[in-house]
Amino acid sequence: MKFILNSGRTIRQGKYIENKLSQGYAEETSQCHIHPLDLLELGVEEEENILVTNAIGEVVLVAVADEGLPKGMVFVPYGIHCNSVISACTHGTGMPDYKIHEVEIVPTSEKRKTPVELLEQLGGVRYAGN
Amino acid sequence: MQEIKDMVCPFCGCLCDDVTLEIENGEIVATDNCCAIGNAKFLGKNRLKNPIKKVDGKWVDITYDEAIDTAVDILLDADRPLLFGWSGTHGEAQCVGVHMNEILGGVIDSTTSVCHGPSILAIQEVGHPGCTLGQVKNRADLIIYWGCNPIEAHPRHMSRYTTYADGYFLDNAFRNRKVIVVDVRETETSNVADEFIRIKPGGDYAVLSSLRAILRGKGDMIPDSVAGVTKTQLIQVAEMCKTCKFGALFFGVGLTMAKGKYKNVRNAIEFVDDLNRHTKFTLTPMRGHWNVYGANEVMSWMTGYPYAVDFCRGVAFYNPGETTAVDILARKECDACMIVGSDPAAHFPHSCVEQLRDIPMIVIDPFQTMTTTLADLQIPVAVTGIDAEGTAYRMDGVPLKVKKAIDSDYPSDTEILTRIYDIMLEVKGL
Ligand code: SF4
Repeated sequence: MKFILNSGRTIRQGKYIENKLSQGYAEETSQCHIHPLDLLELGVEEEENILVTNAIGEVVLVAVADEGLPKGMVFVPYGIHCNSVISACTHGTGMPDYKIHEVEIVPTSEKRKTPVELLEQLGGVRYAGN
Repeated sequence: MQEIKDMVCPFCGCLCDDVTLEIENGEIVATDNCCAIGNAKFLGKNRLKNPIKKVDGKWVDITYDEAIDTAVDILLDADRPLLFGWSGTHGEAQCVGVHMNEILGGVIDSTTSVCHGPSILAIQEVGHPGCTLGQVKNRADLIIYWGCNPIEAHPRHMSRYTTYADGYFLDNAFRNRKVIVVDVRETETSNVADEFIRIKPGGDYAVLSSLRAILRGKGDMIPDSVAGVTKTQLIQVAEMCKTCKFGALFFGVGLTMAKGKYKNVRNAIEFVDDLNRHTKFTLTPMRGHWNVYGANEVMSWMTGYPYAVDFCRGVAFYNPGETTAVDILARKECDACMIVGSDPAAHFPHSCVEQLRDIPMIVIDPFQTMTTTLADLQIPVAVTGIDAEGTAYRMDGVPLKVKKAIDSDYPSDTEILTRIYDIMLEVKGL
């Protein structure tokens, strides 16, 4: 199913901002809020994983029912997960379309990755000291 | 236990300056008056203990002297360095950054370009009818939050300045101050609004234009519904705005990041302009990072431009969309990067993050961040507001001295950047 992706700050994401390598941040930024009727149509239960894709990339997120959203729109907290499907095109303004991106969503049995795993996949190395 | 009062919270653009900190054995153990986000920042642990450098794909601990030499080498080797971040540090450090960028001939950009950059573009076109938050608190009987969710992003905004605050010139402010929330989705903030306008995604520009048409007596041109908002509600909202004594419109990245970008903000400013023919009305962007406004101030007085300043021609050049960080990274143009007080790996589109991975990158930050994993060097610094002090600008442009609460061995951003800069001057014989 096609959706409009909206991303933004949440208070929990904000709390972990100085501790982005934590489990709490990983949980928060890999959530995808969807209207319950859309979930029904997708055939996905809450807390099941979904695959979000578009021409830019793909990412596995966990579905969270949210009646506050209009049908057809999903909300993902700011973070590396949602950026996997955000285009770098700024239309000459410097600002990507963080609030309005078309994505395709399907159910999946794939596992979610943590931000660190996503970074390691990119070639990142975590400092293990401290 | 020692208690320090009236400290400034260095997290969001509210820069709350009434925070109480409790200190025990040289550590902050509790906060009062702080929101959950600010509290987490003050009590934050896990600071990086010493500078680290990536050698053959592995992190090794190094000394500050080595780290500074490595940073100088990386920056002086580059043809087109990008110095990015700046909203998470104090003004004095930002000044050093601008000087450094000038001798490097690089690009200096702040997180502005991915938050309220478009607002600044609009302000440059049509001006900024702003005021201080104190004016809003004491006078405004109508508040509009458009495309923002202060309960989650600026948790004390409503209690310090709007909905839940007393107003010197208002009777029974809590009851009489009306709040309108405009958003594409229901949020914690829209749940406490007197009036919630739900717009279809991308419909802000049309709704603003309709409100302006109604204000100018052209309401009959408006169709029954605009971007999901009924004409009845539009007329009612226009009337609420027109008849208030003092209105304040706060807007967030819901306007700047959506379709239309700076044109949305321009329309919002012109809406406020139209309203000023009937009453007093002001507009304030909800700036996110605690000192992102300061980064704009510092760059403006030093270079003439508020962000995305390119010095490759030897003089300041500014062209958002070309000299902004996301665009430069997406074009794979920069060949080295220094990140100060920001975490682009967590916030930039995927292809920009790939470019950050592929070039030498220095991170100056107290904590290990997402960007750290892709960097080549990180220099830990003191946290402004905890063990470093400096100047910051609140979202309404009021500069505040951010004091420090404890002493530590960590150098401040200003100290580290000055050391790097001084060596550069020496090498370049300047
Ligand atoms: S509202 Fe912002 S400045 Fe105030 S305490 Fe919370 S995070 Fe800090």
